[in-house]
Amino acid sequence: MALKEEIVDVICKTLEVSKEELKNDQKLYDSIGVDSTEMVELVVSLKKHFEIPLETNEITKFSTLNEIVSIIEKKKQ
Amino acid sequence: MSERVAITGVGIVSPCGLKKETFWANLKRGESFVDEVTRFDASNYPSRIAGQVHELDHYTHLSGRLLKKIDVFSHMALVASEQAIKDSKMDLDNIDKNRVGAFMGNALGGWLFAETELRDMYIEGREGISPYMASAWFPAAPQGQVTIYYGFKGYSKTVVADRASSALAIWYASKIIAQGKNDFVLAGGMEAPITPYALLSVNTCGKLSKNNCNPKKAYRPYDLYRDGFVVGEGAAMIVLEKESQAKKRGVSIYGFIKGVGFSSDGYHYSRYRPDSSSLEYAIEECLKDAKWDKKTVDYICLDAEASEIGDYLETQSLKNVFGKQISKISLSAPKSMYGNLLGAQTALDLVATIFSMKNSIIFPTINYEMPDPYCDLDYTPNEAVNREIKKALIIARGRGGINVVLAVEKD
Repeated sequence: MALKEEIVDVICKTLEVSKEELKNDQKLYDSIGVDSTEMVELVVSLKKHFEIPLETNEITKFSTLNEIVSIIEKKKQ
Repeated sequence: MSERVAITGVGIVSPCGLKKETFWANLKRGESFVDEVTRFDASNYPSRIAGQVHELDHYTHLSGRLLKKIDVFSHMALVASEQAIKDSKMDLDNIDKNRVGAFMGNALGGWLFAETELRDMYIEGREGISPYMASAWFPAAPQGQVTIYYGFKGYSKTVVADRASSALAIWYASKIIAQGKNDFVLAGGMEAPITPYALLSVNTCGKLSKNNCNPKKAYRPYDLYRDGFVVGEGAAMIVLEKESQAKKRGVSIYGFIKGVGFSSDGYHYSRYRPDSSSLEYAIEECLKDAKWDKKTVDYICLDAEASEIGDYLETQSLKNVFGKQISKISLSAPKSMYGNLLGAQTALDLVATIFSMKNSIIFPTINYEMPDPYCDLDYTPNEAVNREIKKALIIARGRGGINVVLAVEKD
């Protein structure tokens, strides 16, 4: 699975939103109206899924999907 | 003269129905909805029977995304609120949401969510706990969830006062409407005590029935062989507004909250005052607040603790307040069918009482088989009775003696 698809999958499963709602260049807050508690949940899910160190200030509700992909890509290297 | 506070909508999530029609039809039949606890292994609990809500998920209107974040007690409150709002025909798009609030009562908070998360925290460390825990477990969570869901911004409050919680919440709500601070108030209570920890803590109060072999016969208030009450889970919400507003909107009115009486025993942290004076005071205060003559009361919905002392004190206080007149008043405890919903008990009792008024029927006190010489009133045993009710009282007593009495009347 491509990294981006995998990330989308984690986001959708963690927050129970559909893939169609997520937009590449839109902030999570604008596309799915994510709140701060959901962001904590999401960061922990991504951290566990990809087995990478990740802090809650690295990915925020104002991050876009593309930004999240590049952050995780760097962390995985 | 201040205007009457009208009840224009009801919503119910209870062991004997998740819709008002099923709720009232089941109460009329006089059956018990108490069963063995099936949600978890409660086999070593002294009392392991309860009135449980099944199939809540089939009746829900909420998204999986929201359900993940809330405890079942908020879920029940949201479902009951949705029913009540629809029932009241409140036009959500054309009301001033700054003047709509929610007044709710519960005694315990949301433990199913909390227990699971705390366990995970101890096993997995700080990342094992869900961030939703922060807003899921605490007693004011349902008030928050309901007001967020509908965007209500008016004055709101959550009351925690043991088994008198929702009675007090409804009291505050009716005063807020009477004072004109809000146009609408959603009032009521919710309780979800059927979880491993919550059921254990309710058990340790020592007031639950241990008749586990015979769940349907276990909750038997005023019967000589009673051995405590049985807990139940659920929620009930009502919509309150001024009479003139309800009439202007042209909606049907179930009844009016006419008055409230309150007293504290001021005696012990868990026991009742051994004489019935403080409950009597609350009943008298309620009659005064409602400006009712004692002789005009038709029905009293009872607290029915099903303990020797609780039932005796309640009976005694009614005799002392009403004298010979008590034989002309119908008394009953519909909660003997669905269980005692602790903080939410009065909200359900109120809904049962307004259905009694609407349909001219007194729901029975079930499992009343062997009369107790100290509790010798007519509690409407086992079978529903037809009777027109115009004025009713509802009694709620919290642990340690928080006495609340509500007065409700039909149009």
